Amino acid sequence: MSAFPVPLDGQDLPTSKQEEWKYTNLARALSPELSNKRPMVSEEVFIHRSCGGNGGQVEDILWEGFEGQHQQPRLAIILEEGAELTVIERHRGAGAYWKNMVTDVTVGPNAKLHHIRIVEDSAEAVQTNMARVTIARDGVYDCFSMNAGGAMTRHQIHAVLRGPNITCSLNGVNLLKGSQHADTTILMEHQAPHCVSNQFYRSLLDDQSRGVFQGKVHVHREAQKTDGYQLSNALLLSPSAEMDTKPELEIYADDVKCSHGATTGPLDEEPLFCLRSRGLSADAARLLLIQAFVNEVLEKIPNKDAREEVRGKAEEWLTTRLK
Amino acid sequence: MIEIKNLQANVNTDEGPIEILKGISLSIQPGEVHAIMGPNGSGKSTLSYVLAGREDYGVTGGSVSMNGEDLLALEPEERAAAGLFLAFQYPVEIPGVNMSTFLKTSINSIRKQRGEDELDALSLLKLMKTKCKELGISDDMMKRAVNVGFSGGEKKRNEVLQMALLEPKFCVLDETDSGLDIDALKIVADGVNALRDPKRSFLIITHYQRLLDYIKPDVVHVLAGGKIVKTGGPELAQELEKQGYAEIIEAVA
Repeated sequence: MSAFPVPLDGQDLPTSKQEEWKYTNLARALSPELSNKRPMVSEEVFIHRSCGGNGGQVEDILWEGFEGQHQQPRLAIILEEGAELTVIERHRGAGAYWKNMVTDVTVGPNAKLHHIRIVEDSAEAVQTNMARVTIARDGVYDCFSMNAGGAMTRHQIHAVLRGPNITCSLNGVNLLKGSQHADTTILMEHQAPHCVSNQFYRSLLDDQSRGVFQGKVHVHREAQKTDGYQLSNALLLSPSAEMDTKPELEIYADDVKCSHGATTGPLDEEPLFCLRSRGLSADAARLLLIQAFVNEVLEKIPNKDAREEVRGKAEEWLTTRLK
Repeated sequence: MIEIKNLQANVNTDEGPIEILKGISLSIQPGEVHAIMGPNGSGKSTLSYVLAGREDYGVTGGSVSMNGEDLLALEPEERAAAGLFLAFQYPVEIPGVNMSTFLKTSINSIRKQRGEDELDALSLLKLMKTKCKELGISDDMMKRAVNVGFSGGEKKRNEVLQMALLEPKFCVLDETDSGLDIDALKIVADGVNALRDPKRSFLIITHYQRLLDYIKPDVVHVLAGGKIVKTGGPELAQELEKQGYAEIIEAVA
């Protein structure tokens, strides 16, 4: 445990010289007042489940930020053998604040954690979140992040697959406008054989917004029969939007199946024309195609209520953007 | 009546515009089926795209009217509402949009533009079921994303299904026979024949005479180098099949 929170004095902030912070300038996103501010004593949420349950159990957490705060909240989730839980994490707030968060997840043998993050921080907020996830044999961890808030957000996940037969799925949707910046940085570490990992992210970028996706699948020598998959699709709704993608595979085992892909671009002309030739106006055709683009990734949300909620939010975002 | 007069058009490429259509004229009476045949690169597909209003093609001269209305002045969706339908040579896949959503949105968009009441979900469902049955399209296909994972035959049947649902006045079929085996070709042709109507005109664009064995044209045009070089009855298609394009094009040149 670290000592009582001390101010950073702007000195320890990562810079673009560090490879994993190449596309995200935290120092520029934070005002000096915030980065020099002594962190407040922040909330900690600790969730522990020791036995099975029916899987229908849901923990719903709200993290709020307020003007001028430098928070360092911590979320710890421990599921012991055979436990199953859904955690919904909501982020909101008002004004300029820095939410510098740590998430510690431990998924025990044969346990299942469904983690849904709905990030709607205020337009001036900065959120940095370091998630450390360890999963034991036969465990399942799936995380879906909806990211529509904050001036700058960085969601960094380090998942360690420690035993055989694990399934780890990291998915998300970014809905960005104005000068928003959202960074998803993933290290998926396969340390054991026969595990499956998936990453599927879709981003909608309007105005001058910027998205970053850095995903690395690291397959250790003993992690034979790994099945790793990684895909980032970004749709640019404006010519000044930007997406930086860096998919990476680092493989030391010789019997694995790993693939990655990334696309960035505006809507395809062909389906647009096809829909118009069937009577849809240009605007209606665009809306339908963008909805479809988003809906495909929302299918990954395992919890039906959460899925409908996120779908509603995405719908609202779209209809206000495309009016 | 469809009247195409001295139609000239360019395709816009990265290297600048290239002239493809060099003055096409033809008129199609209601109820008539016209076929346009021609070798590769003669401008067949360009003609279909220009009629449907694709943005990367520029009309540089001439006119197209449908029942007196200037078609070229309309947006693609307005042309559809006016009664034009293009069956695509390569139907495009639309991931994430399922068939029933696509068809419902399409039908109601057109009804709305035509000043008709939109159909409710139940009437739409009934309508789609009937038409699907007629074309041998399974309910299962309605749940799939538009053209995603469809076979060549399914894609073309899907085009005919849309044609049947949208009740156009003028249907343009762009190489509908390409990529079809003989059984699929027959199903598609039967679907088109069922839509033949004294008030509906067809323009069938094809490379091969085979399709015209199943959909009998009233008039056959030969397109070469962006111009119609010969016009005749159904026997012209037979002639082309026997002699090949080169001979006929040479004879008129």
